[in-house]
Amino acid sequence: MNFTLLLPEILLTILAFVIILMGLLISDKSKNMFGYLSAAGLLASLVYVLGNGMTGKTSFFYDSLIIDPLSQVFKLIFVIVSLIAVIASIEYFKNNRNQDEYYALLLLSTVGMMVVASANDLIALFVGFELASMSTYVLAGFEKKNPASLEAALKYFIIGSISSALMLFGMSLIYGITGSTNIPAIIEFFRITHLSAESSIGILAMIFLVAGFGFKMALVPFHMWAPDTYEGSPSVVSALLAAGSKKMGFVAAFRILILALVAIRVDIQYTFAILAIITMTYGNVVAISQRSIKRMLAYSSIAQAGYISLAFVVMTQMSVAGGVLLALGHALMKGGAFIAVAVVSYMVLNDNKNAKNTDDLGNFAGLGKRAPITALSLFIFFLALAGIPPSAGFVGKFILFYSITVEAVSQASSWLLIIVIIAILNSALSIYYYARVIRYMYVLPPNGERIKEPVPYVIAILLAVIGTIGIGLYPEPFIQMAINAAQALGV
Amino acid sequence: MSLYSYLLISIIIFTIGVYGIITQRSGIKILMCIELLLNSANLNLVAFSSYNGNATGQIFAIFSIAIAAAEAAIGFAILVALFRLRDTINLDNINILRW
Repeated sequence: MNFTLLLPEILLTILAFVIILMGLLISDKSKNMFGYLSAAGLLASLVYVLGNGMTGKTSFFYDSLIIDPLSQVFKLIFVIVSLIAVIASIEYFKNNRNQDEYYALLLLSTVGMMVVASANDLIALFVGFELASMSTYVLAGFEKKNPASLEAALKYFIIGSISSALMLFGMSLIYGITGSTNIPAIIEFFRITHLSAESSIGILAMIFLVAGFGFKMALVPFHMWAPDTYEGSPSVVSALLAAGSKKMGFVAAFRILILALVAIRVDIQYTFAILAIITMTYGNVVAISQRSIKRMLAYSSIAQAGYISLAFVVMTQMSVAGGVLLALGHALMKGGAFIAVAVVSYMVLNDNKNAKNTDDLGNFAGLGKRAPITALSLFIFFLALAGIPPSAGFVGKFILFYSITVEAVSQASSWLLIIVIIAILNSALSIYYYARVIRYMYVLPPNGERIKEPVPYVIAILLAVIGTIGIGLYPEPFIQMAINAAQALGV
Repeated sequence: MSLYSYLLISIIIFTIGVYGIITQRSGIKILMCIELLLNSANLNLVAFSSYNGNATGQIFAIFSIAIAAAEAAIGFAILVALFRLRDTINLDNINILRW
């Protein structure tokens, strides 16, 4: 076994414990260094993940963890999102005396997400899911003097733990049917025994798993926690939740559901098609009526989850690649957008210490004059989220919708075409509420002086902008990466 | 006892848990119901482990019991923090964030 491939996880885990221990020893004033320390660790992991394991397959610990292109792409997403969140947190949690715990939890949640990305065994998957979830429950409630933050944490905790209980129940049923917790062994069992649609216990297990992952992905019947949690949590944590933790559900679903569904040959595409369409339409329609920008971003991220889950509808190599690309793009755009909202909150709190609802739409008036870098970046993120080229959002959506159209033509099925048309109409609908914010930022007069944007925020936002535009302008290597990931999955 | 009796008990516990989550309004009671859900899955795992004749299920159950303990600790911590701030853990009163 070659443990060097697991170095990013090992490094981040050790770093988290070192930060906790050092936090006990050093004074509150010097705790600001932990942000830089975490950023350095994440940067090292990012470089390592980019350079290693992008081809081939290696398994560890009796086949319970696996490193393949799919796991590496998602690790890339998780590490980038954490890096952006950590850099922004250097400013957001400056001079907070609990910083050590914050950074340790953030790193541990990243490790949990990375374990989920490379889980090849139900036990590893469950443990990774819980590590990431439990760290983020605490992070969501980190501002413990702020009632909204605690309420967000409580709602997230209750719904999150119900979803993990449902997932565990589904896993127990799958273990009962197949007698194994190893994912390839499970899929092999399904393939050999031709467990078909008549097997009610198999269907029940799949429903529980879809529900469990669906809560994390915030698909529509399971989305109730997402807007509340994203609105109430500190903005940097919302960025981590919306951009990182959500993708954890997708990678788990890619690993188990796609393969299992192919193997048991259930006509569950219809289920996913309906879920995806309801999710994107609901997210976009409700986002229109929001005044709170964080809440609007939460609903738009529900809509994006709807687009990504279109990959489960046709399950071709191309569509899975499109789903992976859109997940990568969405992580960058949404992470950056939440950090930009954090800058606006900082600006409003600078004007008035006791301001409430700092992310209200009215506060964005004249942002183009007050904070030009933030406004321009937010403009780019919004256009990218709506899917306008050249941006990561466009590339992902294009490949995903194109793959479904190809499948519709080759199967001569009209319902697939209808799905694509609904998805494109939804993208058009989303431009409405993004454009409204853009109008506030650039057309309406500012209600204050120009402010100096804090450097950490600017670095974090620019990182996300570079990623968003970079993938849009030069998509080939990323498309190749996504196709490799889909091939590794074996669809 | 056959596998079926264990599965039946596990389903009954699961249903009680779901019923409690839907009807109860106290944060602590909901936490207890979540524990019921997790434990019904554990019972399933152990029963299947004995039925299938391999130990993986029992190992899985041990992992999930450990994780459930950590989860309960975090849940109570959040409830305590909320009670200090708001003097209530009744979920009906926790409604700042809404539509």
